[in-house]
Amino acid sequence: MLDWGRVRFFWAEVAQNFTRNITMALTSIGTIAILIVLLGIFLFLRTSFDIVMKNFVGQVAIAVYLRDDAKGSDIDALVRDAKADPRIDNVQFVSKKQAFKKLRQTLRGQFNLNYINTNPLPNAIIIHTALPTDVPPVAGDMQNKPGVAVVNFGSGVTEKLLRAETLFSAIGAAIIALLFISTSLIMYNTIRLTVFARQREIRIMQLVGATGWTVRWPFIFEGIVSGLLGALLGLFALQLAYRTFAPKLIVNLPFIPFNITSVPLHHLAVELILAGVLVGMLSSLLSVSRYLQNA
Amino acid sequence: MIVFRDVCLVYPNGVHALTDISLTVARGEFLFLVGSSGQGKSSLLKCINREARPTEGEVVIEDQSLADLRPRDIPFLRRKVGVVFQDFKLLYQKTVWENVAYALQVTGASSRDVMRRVPRTLELVGIAHKSKMFPHELSGGEQQRTAIARSLVNNPLILLCDEPTGNLDPETSSEIMALLARINAKGTTMIVATHNQAIVDRMRRRVVRLVNGRIARDEERGRYHVGLG
Repeated sequence: MLDWGRVRFFWAEVAQNFTRNITMALTSIGTIAILIVLLGIFLFLRTSFDIVMKNFVGQVAIAVYLRDDAKGSDIDALVRDAKADPRIDNVQFVSKKQAFKKLRQTLRGQFNLNYINTNPLPNAIIIHTALPTDVPPVAGDMQNKPGVAVVNFGSGVTEKLLRAETLFSAIGAAIIALLFISTSLIMYNTIRLTVFARQREIRIMQLVGATGWTVRWPFIFEGIVSGLLGALLGLFALQLAYRTFAPKLIVNLPFIPFNITSVPLHHLAVELILAGVLVGMLSSLLSVSRYLQNA
Repeated sequence: MIVFRDVCLVYPNGVHALTDISLTVARGEFLFLVGSSGQGKSSLLKCINREARPTEGEVVIEDQSLADLRPRDIPFLRRKVGVVFQDFKLLYQKTVWENVAYALQVTGASSRDVMRRVPRTLELVGIAHKSKMFPHELSGGEQQRTAIARSLVNNPLILLCDEPTGNLDPETSSEIMALLARINAKGTTMIVATHNQAIVDRMRRRVVRLVNGRIARDEERGRYHVGLG
């Protein structure tokens, strides 16, 4: 059964950590809020970039142009093999005739194609892969098959975008790691000051037989609460900034190839709160454990 | 029973605090540790509650060698060994009642246990009527009674008192020593490190004198100085 007396005692200890050194508590909360704002901006940009990438790369199709002398059986085999490939999402055969018809529709009003007597376009197979990263290898496989003349998949652009995404992710991971480390160090030292402010209690606790975890828990909870409050403060600032700037961005940057409101903000908020709580908890745990080790 | 077998204690700064200490304290015994400052009295007490770990030899408490004690077992040893200090070491933002309850709360006692044991212990040390007061509202003697109550509330087998009357006037010192004698009479082993000659001479209990970290004298029903009276 839950012993409310013990729960009350525990929370009173946590509250005492806060009130004993309110400046330090505010420093912890402020530091985490700054981390959350920076992290939030970064995650927002990364998510936006991911959405742009997904939209762009998702539209990249592999056009397999067939030789005019390709046999019907070769074409059938190509389509069959492509449909059986688990990397491939969609396969569509476009005949010369259909391609020419489409070209006519596309260029209607711009060029008069009535003067062209022969159809210069080849038969083609249009392939969409499930993952953007599979575009280059699938294109490479198709290149060597019988009946294939040329394979076009926006080579260069796709690969450059994929490389940019990898680079962006790596730089992002490094920035996030640096942010976490610097915030954790500030938190670590702040909690250490709280621990020093409570040396007397800790010594008494140890003398009367409190276990290491009994000593640690109030500090760990102080870290969690600081993390949570800091994260909420940071989120509030981010929300304010988003409400102020997002409408202006939509109006002023209409060429941005994605809808800014499609970024999943709730998901980001949960990630940021977890990040704040985690930094608070871990730095407190390390700080008080280090103190107890040397005590 | 507390047994010291050839205990040496050298602090990391190279100070030899204890040298070749061999001592047996029976269960329920009352022992005075005397000697001038810096002779090793406090260090000897620290070896009993594992605040200090002997560099040589071993300390055995109730058949348990402290040398085998894992760090996570130390808190459980300390619940059996109460400590009282010269400077009381009370929490000044807590009342008398809360100071005593604190020792139970941090060892995970249920609130029912706290409600049952705190008033009883306060009654035992004669401070129940001041349970709602804060330490700064109490006299030195009352603060020391509170500290004794806090060390007693976990029902320790052993009570270590490091200069418990060092900050008190003679009359209050006598009252505190009388209280310690009463607690000892109920079966708690008592080791009192003190400079208080008058009390040692009046109580005539076992006296162990330390000089330069060695036992210079161990006398049943002894006095502070040899050859007096």
